[in-house]
Amino acid sequence: MYNKSLLSILIGLFLVAFALKKRTPEPKSYIPTPFYRLPVFPTKNDTVALGRLLFYDNILSANNQVSCASCHNSYNAFAHTDHQLSHGIFDSVGTRNAPGLFNLAWQKEFMWDGATHHIEAQALAPLHDTKEMGSNIKALLSKLRASDFYRKAFYDTYKDTIINSNRTLKALAAFELSLVSFESKYDAVKTDNAEFSTQEKAGYKLFKQNCNKCHTEPLFTNGKYMDNNLPIDSSLDDKGRFLVTKQKEDRYKFKVPSLRNLSYTYPYMHDGRFTTLNHVLQHYSSNQNIKNKGKADLEKAIHLSFNERADLISFLLTLNDKNFVFNPAYSFPKKLKDYLIQE
Amino acid sequence: MQHLIFFLLVFMNIGFTSAQLKFALAHDSLRYMPIRINQEDSVSLLRFYISNIHIEQGRKIIWEAHKKHYLIDFTQNRLATNIVSGTGLENIKKGRLKFTLGVDHKTASQGIGEGPLDPIQGMYWTWQSGYINFKLEGVSSKCPSRKNRFQLHLGGFQKPFRSAQIIELQITGTRANVVFNIHKFLAEINLREAHSIMSPGEKAVSLMEHAKRCFYVQ
Repeated sequence: MYNKSLLSILIGLFLVAFALKKRTPEPKSYIPTPFYRLPVFPTKNDTVALGRLLFYDNILSANNQVSCASCHNSYNAFAHTDHQLSHGIFDSVGTRNAPGLFNLAWQKEFMWDGATHHIEAQALAPLHDTKEMGSNIKALLSKLRASDFYRKAFYDTYKDTIINSNRTLKALAAFELSLVSFESKYDAVKTDNAEFSTQEKAGYKLFKQNCNKCHTEPLFTNGKYMDNNLPIDSSLDDKGRFLVTKQKEDRYKFKVPSLRNLSYTYPYMHDGRFTTLNHVLQHYSSNQNIKNKGKADLEKAIHLSFNERADLISFLLTLNDKNFVFNPAYSFPKKLKDYLIQE
Repeated sequence: MQHLIFFLLVFMNIGFTSAQLKFALAHDSLRYMPIRINQEDSVSLLRFYISNIHIEQGRKIIWEAHKKHYLIDFTQNRLATNIVSGTGLENIKKGRLKFTLGVDHKTASQGIGEGPLDPIQGMYWTWQSGYINFKLEGVSSKCPSRKNRFQLHLGGFQKPFRSAQIIELQITGTRANVVFNIHKFLAEINLREAHSIMSPGEKAVSLMEHAKRCFYVQ
């Protein structure tokens, strides 16, 4: 009888372990370890859910008209399209194009110039920026504490009545960390679940020869700050990373963006100056730009024939992750929608 | 009498104002903002972080503060929180008091803190993340800035502009006043040029090094 009980316990433990193993996502072997721990069970994680509410809520802004999603739209891989420069409160126009938000757990620093060193601190920047949300953390907390909706939301998450900056910022960070995009055709090929077409294969070869040094796979960014010879826009004269480090060699350097989801994240570059990928490739093929910026990181022009450009773009399109962009778990939360409709 | 009061007023006693103090005793002249330093200068805000407060003898740590970080603030309604306490301080006869002026860079490189490190305290840069280690604001006729204001928000935790300073002071006896000489601090900087420092850089580091030299034990 003792042996039967023990066997039952062991079988039970085995079943539990198997169930847990199934629910915990398997890390893909070609993807490096992230710097941040990913939220466990993101779709059923209360902190992530709270962060998602905050992300989409205009309550963050001084005039209650701008949310994070105003510039980081889920259908654009959380980037800002249709505008070279993102705009915020009272239609204020900023100085940069909001980058896409995905795979943030694999980044050490945030923003085009790496001004934010920790993801929990990132939301403070747009929250306080006079051209983005025009508010501040104190004002936000006052609004959250006065809101029945958020008093309940925080209580449901933390099982007490405390609403503070730590919880608010960490909830936003948790949602942002949950935005993971590794289900493109490229990823399917990497896991032997698909094959590139002939054209895509040719494009991949060109990519590895010309682009991989900076847009290093599988994240398609090396996470570094580089000068890619963009002619200086004198109306902005944005010195990029230099503004953070004050080191002369960092002038006009910006963080290398990921090339994932390019179909959704146009326009391109830190100031949104290129609306199509062909424009981007045209820039990289220009000898003129190399001559003018002798100390830039791009040492020589990338000359591609018309067909080669088509092949390269064909490969780049395999980096689009439709599942990510249209994942209902990341889109406008129904709970918030129902609440706002009531209001 | 006026001179005596003036003399006492220019010295700021750090955080040690009430009977609950364990780290240092209150100075009788502890005052709150705003304070007139002289005919030219007045100070409206003085706040700074201190971290990792402990006392050493030889290589041994013989006493540590209860909390790792404190936000010292001389705003009137914040004086009660300027307390550094730790068990057994009354037994210390002699030692080296050591603390970091500012938030140590390891803590600064981590995420959002709580309590004194909560961004709601107004000591966290939002446009470029990181703590403001030392914040001093006021008015001086020497400042060419708008309304003669000076704003010294000294921070930075990343190389090469790590601004937090480790301060070491000899203490003797069981009670010690750790004093920040604000008179010396202002007298030895050029407010005509350094009136608006609000980002990490060489100037912030230089001013923090200067602030370090303005602490002493009384």
